[in-house]
Amino acid sequence: MASLKISITGVRGIVGETLDPRLLTNFAQAFGTLVGPATVLLSRDPRPSGPMVASCVTAGLLATGCRVVDVGICPTPAMQWAVKSTEAAGGIAVTAGHNALEWNALKFVREDGLYLNVNQGEELLNVLHQGEFRKATHDEIHSAVEYDPELGRRHAEVLARHVDSEAIDRAGFTVAVDCCNGACSDFSPRFLEALGCRVVPINTDLDQPFPHEPAPGPRNLGQLRALVAAARADVGFAHDADGDRLGIVTEDGGAPGDELTLCLATEAVLRRGDAGPVVTNVSTTHAVEAVAARYGRDVIRTRVGQSFVAEAALTNEAAVAGEGSGGVMFPRLNCAHDSLATLAHVLELMAHTGQPISRLVAALPRLHMMKLAIQCAPAKVSAVVERIREEAEEGVFGGTLDLEDGVKIVDEGTWVHVRASITEPVIRVISEAATQEAAESLAERFARRVRQAAT
Amino acid sequence: MSSTRSPVHTLKISISGVRGVVGESLTPQLVVGFAQAFGCYVEGGIVLVGRDTRQTGEMVRQAVVGGLLASGCYVIDLGVVPVPTVLIAVKQLQADGAIAITASHNPAQWNALKFARSDGAFLNSFQATELLDVYHQGEFRLARTPEISRVDHDEHAIERHMQLVVDNTDVAAVRARKPRVVIDMCNGAGAVMSPQLLAALGCEVIALHGEPDGRFPHDPEPIAQNLRELCRTVRETGADVGFAQDADADRLAIVSERGRAIGEEFALAFACDTVCAQTPGLMVTNVSTSRMIDEVAARHGGRVLRTKVGEINVVEAMLRERAVIGGEGNGGVIYPQAHPCRDSMVGMALILAGLASRGTISSWVRSFRPSAMFKTKTECPSTRVQHAMAAARRQYADCRLDLTEGLKVLWPESGRWLHIRPSNTEPVIRVIGEGDTLREARQLCEDALAVLQPAIDS
Repeated sequence: MASLKISITGVRGIVGETLDPRLLTNFAQAFGTLVGPATVLLSRDPRPSGPMVASCVTAGLLATGCRVVDVGICPTPAMQWAVKSTEAAGGIAVTAGHNALEWNALKFVREDGLYLNVNQGEELLNVLHQGEFRKATHDEIHSAVEYDPELGRRHAEVLARHVDSEAIDRAGFTVAVDCCNGACSDFSPRFLEALGCRVVPINTDLDQPFPHEPAPGPRNLGQLRALVAAARADVGFAHDADGDRLGIVTEDGGAPGDELTLCLATEAVLRRGDAGPVVTNVSTTHAVEAVAARYGRDVIRTRVGQSFVAEAALTNEAAVAGEGSGGVMFPRLNCAHDSLATLAHVLELMAHTGQPISRLVAALPRLHMMKLAIQCAPAKVSAVVERIREEAEEGVFGGTLDLEDGVKIVDEGTWVHVRASITEPVIRVISEAATQEAAESLAERFARRVRQAAT
Repeated sequence: MSSTRSPVHTLKISISGVRGVVGESLTPQLVVGFAQAFGCYVEGGIVLVGRDTRQTGEMVRQAVVGGLLASGCYVIDLGVVPVPTVLIAVKQLQADGAIAITASHNPAQWNALKFARSDGAFLNSFQATELLDVYHQGEFRLARTPEISRVDHDEHAIERHMQLVVDNTDVAAVRARKPRVVIDMCNGAGAVMSPQLLAALGCEVIALHGEPDGRFPHDPEPIAQNLRELCRTVRETGADVGFAQDADADRLAIVSERGRAIGEEFALAFACDTVCAQTPGLMVTNVSTSRMIDEVAARHGGRVLRTKVGEINVVEAMLRERAVIGGEGNGGVIYPQAHPCRDSMVGMALILAGLASRGTISSWVRSFRPSAMFKTKTECPSTRVQHAMAAARRQYADCRLDLTEGLKVLWPESGRWLHIRPSNTEPVIRVIGEGDTLREARQLCEDALAVLQPAIDS
């Protein structure tokens, strides 16, 4: 039963093992009780278990008196945008994001299109555990579900007006795109064509399983790199299963990595003069600071997690926000990680500068990161992080401290971050430095200290 | 009112399915649980789903589909269809079973699941018990990716059902008569099919409450008190006959050309008369159904077999004994040549074909010996049931008895009979009598109650 993960961002599990119909209807009823009776949007990615999960969720929502608008297979950010843009009181995305095919999950979206924050997530769990759901009477229950696949498509139409579509069209890019047979399979090629690109798509069959792990990190970009070379594309983009994260391949076959997706997007947005600071989490590359500094902007750093970044982006009226995972949000459109919006901004940057994507990447600061995960007895996790924090506050490690989420020690261009994972009994150590060797030795030094404290 | 009862009392889990009030007892959890149990029962096979027009039907359907998919079933959704359409489709599509979502004649706040097996009949009591065991054990088959399947929609089930009825009807006879028919569908599942079927049979159709939106204009049980508008419309339009269906279109009631509700027993009597006149043979009904079927048998040289009350009991006996026709006195006509299930569509077609050569509904009624039935019940705690039934048994020991279910007492010379049986679903004993007049029938029941009541109270 270890495959069930109930956290503030939703519920995730392996279908056929832990994510069963009763749990799903319970969660849907809890959500319907919390936000309803009101309109709730429902979207899913194309996993084979999606119809089962969506049916259970629909039944639960209807039973609480909610009106359900099913937007079908749709990128999660498009559904989030639709929640924000309609009178819907919330949304449920049926998607396990970058997880493997046998997983599925529910992600809960609130009225303004953001995921539930910690407090709201806890409230939902309290309703769930109390188990007293709103029971609509037979004449309050909506007699039909509305299917509205067009609602999700309007996101792309609005997005096209957020970027300089004319410039992108004039540039006449050839774009290779790997949709991982995921929710963007239909949306992304269609959107790119509307922008005037010549599109060379791969893995756009919704009935096929994921051809590779759906996380768009460099190790899953082999096919796309080959495609970029074969098609002599100007750039390659990779979507995850539900369309929040974006991976990039340069025209010369390079894969700059998840962390640089945010940097390129930041360059694009600040270059054209969008107002506001940049928001990211404490564990994301400091190359973001370097880009922001070129335009005299501040970087605000939050705890790790999309909901923290999104809320900070909203309250600080950020120009752009995101995380090192390849998820970038454009608050003027929506405070949600959005791979379609990200690729549109990258294309705009290419069009406006007239430079190949490899040159744009090369112009970013070259930093190196090291990420380690150290197993730790669940009972000791907090104490270990607390111990490191005390030592840091005593000045044992020098540098300046950021205690937003665990302990982060910054020393000129170098930093290390120690924090407890929220999903596993693990302590994460992340470092960044000018060279790979420096990053590794820094991370190893703190990993040793963590292991010591953990025993 | 049932809607003010406590949730505990609105849930009925029995051999005929799971029934409850939505918003009280029929929760999504309960529905997915039963759908998963059924998915296990059919070992993840092909399962059809159909529903009546109730407003809560979509909620229940989604929960049913979720539960079935989770247990590895491939689901074919037939949409809003009559219950007989679902049962017929099981056989036609060679499915492994079906779940019909309908509370039949119950008021709008109710809904229910009914479970059918691969031959297109409902589960019998042994099979239903097995399903309940699976449910209560709660260890369901869980399909994993990629085994987990999907839902497809079949929009042709109604056409196929209609064709089946037409193929089994003497359409030429109906067309020649070109009857004017008023049909009250109660905005139930019959609305998706009845007017088209009647037109295809060559009738002039006047439709009442034919919007399949589940807003019942009256309680959907097709008994006299719910048929007033139908009676009036038949009179006003000079129709030859009026028909009324319940919400899932398995039961049928008839209104005569004079605008009189002639009683629910006549649907079966007329259908049997029509069929037995052409093909005399065995007819099957339950012990509580009118003696008119015996009259039909005598008239055409047929035979009658009586079973326990309940559609599946009648159906199984019909299949076993190769009956030509049968059904139940509550308006449920079963014509196995079409499909062995209660079907108001087949019932209407047979009656219209029979009417073609029989003058009017009123004259057809008069061709039967005058008859009246009286039905009553008395509350009886489960601890007193045996005692009360034993008292009745002693009282009628010298009479001719039929012990198929409870106690049936027959007086062959006068044609009277009395049936006393404990209910399966409520703590009551039901008492039904038939005689030449209502007074006679009532007297039979009152005599029985006079025996039962002291035994219940003592």
